[in-house]
Amino acid sequence: MLDKFNKYQPWLTLLARIILGGVLLVAGGLKVGNLQKSAMAVRAYELLPIPIANFLGYTLPWIEIGVGLLLILGVAVKINGVIGAFTMLVFIVAIAQAWARGLSIDCGCFGGGGSVDPEDTKYLSEIIRDLGLLLLGIYLYYYPKGRIALDK
Amino acid sequence: MTTNSGDKGTRNLVIIMVSFIVIVGVVFSIISNRSNSTAQVPAAVSEAEGYGIVLNPSATPKIDVYIDYQCPACRAFEIINGGYLNEVIAQNKAKVVYHPMTFIGPESILAANAAACAADESKFVDMNLALFQNQPNAENSGVWQSEALVALGKSVGIKSNSFEKCVNDGTYVKWTNNVAVESGKANVNSTPTIFINGKEMDRKTEYGDPVKFKAALAAAGVK
Repeated sequence: MLDKFNKYQPWLTLLARIILGGVLLVAGGLKVGNLQKSAMAVRAYELLPIPIANFLGYTLPWIEIGVGLLLILGVAVKINGVIGAFTMLVFIVAIAQAWARGLSIDCGCFGGGGSVDPEDTKYLSEIIRDLGLLLLGIYLYYYPKGRIALDK
Repeated sequence: MTTNSGDKGTRNLVIIMVSFIVIVGVVFSIISNRSNSTAQVPAAVSEAEGYGIVLNPSATPKIDVYIDYQCPACRAFEIINGGYLNEVIAQNKAKVVYHPMTFIGPESILAANAAACAADESKFVDMNLALFQNQPNAENSGVWQSEALVALGKSVGIKSNSFEKCVNDGTYVKWTNNVAVESGKANVNSTPTIFINGKEMDRKTEYGDPVKFKAALAAAGVK
């Protein structure tokens, strides 16, 4: 069993990098083209003071792109796995509090965002998806060495 | 085969390049999402009112209207309540400030620019209505280009060359960014959003019901 894991672990690491990195890269890429909307999405969580929410809306997409690129290329996988996992944890907390407080917002994860009709919210599926990505980040922290990576 | 040190060099180069992209992107994004005080603005615009287009500047109460010309819910709002609101404007019963937001994309910017150009011809209310009445079915579908917007202006009686030039030149395109930034500071997260004397109306009931909308305005002192 352990032998099998040891054999496939580098490939699993590659897969985790591509999924987590790919999601981050796409999520960031879809947002950088419309930063007004990105800032709006962060404000709609009603969690942060407006200037900080706007700042995060303008900067977060670029950070997602950076971390996503490094994960895909296999550079500094351990630390980027942690950053990716931490980002997902923050998203989960933010979405959960919006849900608990009865806000009707779109998570704005892949562009979009802001207030939506109450029947259009999909908090549970957003949290489950981010939880899966969080686990991938944790996996990469423990098993950063994988196939096709610039890290040696 | 590259040597070990060669791999390390590539790795460091990648880290530097990616960091560079992120830092340049962040700096560029922060700078470009600030109000630009040198942007050309229509005569009716007040910086103190979040760069909104101000109608009846000396009347009270104050109604702030945040819309995006491509937003279907804003079109619905205009059709439901626009008639009464335009009557209020025409009879000088309230100060009404329009904030044309542009988060839906390029054609929202062109439409907002055209509305601002119309404001300079004292035709904002008519142009505002015409834009919503002729809202394309899909976002950024290529319908709202200069030619169509000039034609729309003509349809509400704007015949001057200055309007045509203003639309074609995109005179107030930079101003739309100022509106977006200030709307963000006012914590407007969807459109339409209506404030009466700085307080948001009840989105769930008063936006879609003309009787309740009228009652809310009356409660604020619109007689």
